[in-house]
Amino acid sequence: MGLSQVAVLASAQTELRPAWRDAQHIDLISSVVTNVFKGTGLTLDDVDFVIDSGSDVLDGRSISNCGFLGALGAHHKEEARVEEDGLWGALYGVNKIRSGASQIGLIVAYSKPSESDIDLYWASMVEPFYQRPVGFGQKAALGIQAQRYLAAHGIKDDALAAIVAKRWADAAANSKASIGEVPDSAAVLAGAEAAWPLTELMISRPLDGAVAVLIGSGDVARRTGRPPVFITGMGTSMETHALAERTENKLDSVANAARMALGKAGWDSAAAADVIETSGSSVIGELLTFEGLGLAAEGKGADVASSDKINRSGGALPADPIMATGLVRLAEAAKQLSAPVKAGAAAPSKAIVHGTGGVAMQTNCVFTLEV
Amino acid sequence: MFYAPDTAPIDLPTFKSTISLPYTLTPGRAAGVFLAEMPNRRIVGARFADGTVIAPAQDFSPRDGEEPTELVQAPETGELTGFTRVNGVVLGLVRLDGCRNSFVHRILADLDQVKVGQRVAVQWAAGDEGTSILAIEGFVPAADAAVGEVKPLVGAAEPLGVINYAMALHYDHAYGPYYGRMFDELKENGVVMGVRGSNADEALLPPREIDDITHKRTGTWKACADTGTIRACSLINVEVYGQTRQVPYAYAEIVLDGASTKMIHVIEIDDLETAKQQIKPGARVRAVWTTGERRGAVSDIERFEVIEG
Amino acid sequence: MGREVGIVGVGQTHHSRRRTDVSQAGLVREAVDRALADANLSMEDIDTIVIATGPVLFAAVNQPEKWVVDAIGAQGKSVVRLTSGGGAGFAGALAGYYQVAGGYSERTLVVAYDKLSEGQLQYSISTLYDPFWGREFAVGIMGFSAAYWRARMDVLGHTEEAAAMVAAKNRNNAIKNPYAHQKKAVTVEDVLNSKPLCWPIKLLDVPPISDGAAAIVLASDKVAHHSTTRPAWIRGMAYCCEADNAPERSLMLSEPLAIASRQVYRAAGITNPRRQFDVVEVQEPYSCFELNYYESLGLCPPGQAADLVASGATQVDGDIPVNPSGGCMGANPIGAVGVIRLIEAATQVMGRNETHQIKDAKLALVQSGGGWANLRGCAVLSA
Repeated sequence: MGLSQVAVLASAQTELRPAWRDAQHIDLISSVVTNVFKGTGLTLDDVDFVIDSGSDVLDGRSISNCGFLGALGAHHKEEARVEEDGLWGALYGVNKIRSGASQIGLIVAYSKPSESDIDLYWASMVEPFYQRPVGFGQKAALGIQAQRYLAAHGIKDDALAAIVAKRWADAAANSKASIGEVPDSAAVLAGAEAAWPLTELMISRPLDGAVAVLIGSGDVARRTGRPPVFITGMGTSMETHALAERTENKLDSVANAARMALGKAGWDSAAAADVIETSGSSVIGELLTFEGLGLAAEGKGADVASSDKINRSGGALPADPIMATGLVRLAEAAKQLSAPVKAGAAAPSKAIVHGTGGVAMQTNCVFTLEV
Repeated sequence: MFYAPDTAPIDLPTFKSTISLPYTLTPGRAAGVFLAEMPNRRIVGARFADGTVIAPAQDFSPRDGEEPTELVQAPETGELTGFTRVNGVVLGLVRLDGCRNSFVHRILADLDQVKVGQRVAVQWAAGDEGTSILAIEGFVPAADAAVGEVKPLVGAAEPLGVINYAMALHYDHAYGPYYGRMFDELKENGVVMGVRGSNADEALLPPREIDDITHKRTGTWKACADTGTIRACSLINVEVYGQTRQVPYAYAEIVLDGASTKMIHVIEIDDLETAKQQIKPGARVRAVWTTGERRGAVSDIERFEVIEG
Repeated sequence: MGREVGIVGVGQTHHSRRRTDVSQAGLVREAVDRALADANLSMEDIDTIVIATGPVLFAAVNQPEKWVVDAIGAQGKSVVRLTSGGGAGFAGALAGYYQVAGGYSERTLVVAYDKLSEGQLQYSISTLYDPFWGREFAVGIMGFSAAYWRARMDVLGHTEEAAAMVAAKNRNNAIKNPYAHQKKAVTVEDVLNSKPLCWPIKLLDVPPISDGAAAIVLASDKVAHHSTTRPAWIRGMAYCCEADNAPERSLMLSEPLAIASRQVYRAAGITNPRRQFDVVEVQEPYSCFELNYYESLGLCPPGQAADLVASGATQVDGDIPVNPSGGCMGANPIGAVGVIRLIEAATQVMGRNETHQIKDAKLALVQSGGGWANLRGCAVLSA
C-alpha cells in the first residue's frame, strides 16, 4: 500500500527571548502562523489541519489551545493539541498526511516560560507521593545524571564548558535566539550552581518564543518550487518515570527512537547525516543523546560534540523554548538542508532531528530528513 | 510582529494571576501503605515474583509494569548511588540494603562528605510529619552501619485512601500592546476599547493583532459604549470552589454597542423567577462602574444592569 | 485513506464517584488490562500508545503520561499524550487512528482517563477562561453551557422539557449499563423539579463527577484478525474547532460538528444519517447539548431536536437510538468519555454489547467534544 511522502515546506520562528514582555502568547503564535507562508505560494486556506504544542501549566490556563485557536489559524479546521514538544506534533501531522487523509498541515509550538515559575512546571511533573515532597525535579535529575556520567567517564568540567561556549557562539551566529554576550568557557564554569556538578549555563536556558512548520505531501512539496525536504523516518520512545531505574549513563529511549527512525528511513547509521540537531536538557544530556544516536561510543559523546555537523544552530542549551525546542530543531535542520551552499562545497543531503521531554529526558523523538 | 496604528507597546507591569486549589489524591495500595506506615517509622517495599525488592513500594514495577506479589519491610540502611545539590540541598539516590532500585531523598550532609558507594542510614524527622514521606528527614552518612535486611511486613497498616494536597501556580502574564492599551484606557478614561475586525467596523473585544476568523490584520482602535445587548445568559445558583460572587446572579455574555464579540460579566438578581423574565438574550444592559479607583481590569465594571423599558 | 483501521479490543473501568483504592495510574492500568485481554494481546504486541486526559489541573500531575507509563508496562515504547478538554479521549483515538492509518504502527493502544474526585472540577474548568478577560465570572463551562441553551430555547421555542427528556432517557438507560455508577430511574418531571444550578440547567441535567478510564486497541487490516473476526471498522473520523469568540458564532448549530460530520459522512458514504445509522453514542456534558447534536449531526432538520426527542425515536427502542449506554449521565470521567462512547458504539457493531445491544446494529455514529463547545468531532463505525 503506497503511503504518501511528506515534506517540510517552510518554517517560521519568532525571536527566542528570555522574556517577551511586550507580546502575549497569541501575538507570538499569530506572528509565526502569518509568516510561515511567505514564499510558499500557499495560504492558510490551503491548510487542512493544525496541530499545536503548548503546556497548560506554562500558559496558566486549562485547554490553552482553546483560547488560541484564532491565532493558530485553526478556525473551522481540524485541530489537535499534543501536550509535548512540537516534534511530536509534527509526528502526528506526518501520519495524517501519510494516511492520505490530508495534504497540508501546520504544526505550531510555543511557550512563554517567563510568565510562570519554571521549577513548578517541572515539580508538578513528578509523581506526588514520593518524589515531589522531597524536592526532586528537573534540576536534581539532571544533576544526578551529570554526576554519574562524569564519575563514570572521567570527563572534566572544562571540556563541558567548552562545548557550552561553542553552542552559545553558534546560536549567536546561526539562530533566532537572543544571545547578548557570548560566554566563554571560564564564564560557563564561573556561573552559579544549578545542580552540582552543573552550572546554570550547563543546563538548557528556557526562552519565550514560537515556531511554525508547514508540512505537505510530496505532490504539494514538488509544486512549491523549492527542493523538498522529505521526512523519511520517525521514532519515539518513553522510559520509566523512575530515574533510578533507567539504565545508568545511557538514554535508552534515544537509541530506541533512533532505531525506529533509521529503520523506516533505511539508513544503517545516524552517522550518515550531514546535519544533526539535538535537544539536550543539559550538556550531559547532549552527550548522552549523541551516544544514544550512535554517533559516539558510550562515554565518548564529547569527542563528537564539536563536529560542525552537530547543532550548528546552537541546539537547546542556549535556547530552550520549552514545548517548541524540538520543532525548532526540525526547522533549523530543514533550513540547513535547503540552503544554497558555497561554490565547491558539498551540499548536505541528510539530517537527524531530535526532541526531548520529561524529567531528565524521559521521552525522546528522532526524525530523519532527506533532500 | 506588526501593530495596529496607535498601538505602541505600553510599559505596564505584568498581570499577576494565581491558580490555587486543594486536592485529595489517592496513592494506591503500595504507596498508600507506605505512607500509612510513616508514623510507625517503617519503610515499605514491594517484592516481585522473581524475588527482587524495590523501595519505596510501588503498585507497578518501574521496569515493566509487573505487579508485586507482596509488600515487605525494607531496612533503614543502604548505599548512595548518585547525588547532586540544588539550592543548597543535597539530593541523592539511595539503594536500601536488599533492594534492586534506588530511593530519591535528601542527603543530610555537606557535598564534600558525600560520595557514591558510601553507607547511609535513615534519619527520621524529629517533628510529626504525619503520613508524609518527609517523616523521613533524609539519609545521613553511616560508614559503619550494618547491612540491613528485607523482612516481612507484619501487621501492615491499611493503605491511605487519600492524601490532602495543595497546588498553587503563580503567573506574571504579559499584557502585550493590545491588552496593554485596552486596560490602560479602562483605567485612565473609563472606556472599553477594541480594534475593528479585519473587514468590519465593529470592534473585536478583547482586541488583538490578528482577526480570529480571517487571520488577517485587525483594523484601527474604536471606543465601545458601556451599554450593550445580552447575547447569552444563565442564572447561577450553584456554589463552587473559587467563586467570587454570592449566588444567585446572572452570568452574561454581552455584546457592547460598537463591538461584535462578547464581554463576559455578571448581573445581580433578586430571585430566579423574576430574572428568567428580565434577563434574557436580546435584553439591553448598561455597565455599572466601580465607585472606587479604577485598576485597569474587567472588574472596573462592577456589574451590568438591565436597562428597564 | 491509506489503510483500514479497526477497533479490535475494548476495556473500561467500572466507573465510580470516587476510587480510593487505586491511584490515577492504577485506574489506567485496569482499563488497559481489560482492553488487551479483550483483544487477545499483551503489551508486547502493541507498537505505540496514546494516552489522553483532560486538563492537568483536574488531578495535579503535569504531563501525567510520564507517570502512567510505568503502570501500564509501556516503558520503551512510543508514548504520546493528547489533550483536548472533554474531547481528549476522542482526540487521542483520532491520533491513534492516524498512527495506524499512516503506517507508523500496526497496533496502537489508546487509553483515556480522568480521576475527577481528586480535584476541584468547576474551578479547574474555569481556568479555561482568559485570566484577563472573564475568568473571574466563570462557573466551569456550566454557566456558559446554560447560556448557550437559553439562547436556543428562546429562538427555537424549545422548552426545558426537551432537555429533561434527554436527561431522563439517558439516566434510565444507564441503569442497565454495568460500567455506569449513576443508576437511578428518573422521570421528566423529576428533572424539571430538580434544583436549578445554572438555570436553565438543573441538577438532573448534569452528569455525575466520576473516576474512570477506558482503552481501545486499534489495528490495521493486516493484523486485526489476530484479535477478532469482527472488528469495528472506522469508516471516517474527524475533530474540528471554531474560534470561541467569533462575531458570528452560531449558538444554534455547532459549526465544527457540522463540518466534521460532513467530512466523515463523505468518507463513510452516509447520505441519510437518520435512516442509515443503527445506533448513536454522544457525549452530553449537559443534557441540552444532545439536542444540539441531533441537529448538527443531521439526525433531524435544524430546530427540530425537541420534536425528535419527544417522538421517542432516540429511545432504545426508537428508530435512531441515542446513548443506549446512558451516555455521560451514567458516568462522566471527562477525558475518558470520548473513548467510552467509541467503546459503546464498537461493541454495538461488533454485536457484543453486554447489556443493551441494539438488534442487528451494523453502523454506528459517535460524537465527542470539549472546550467551550467549540471542539467537536464524530466518527462512523461499521461491522
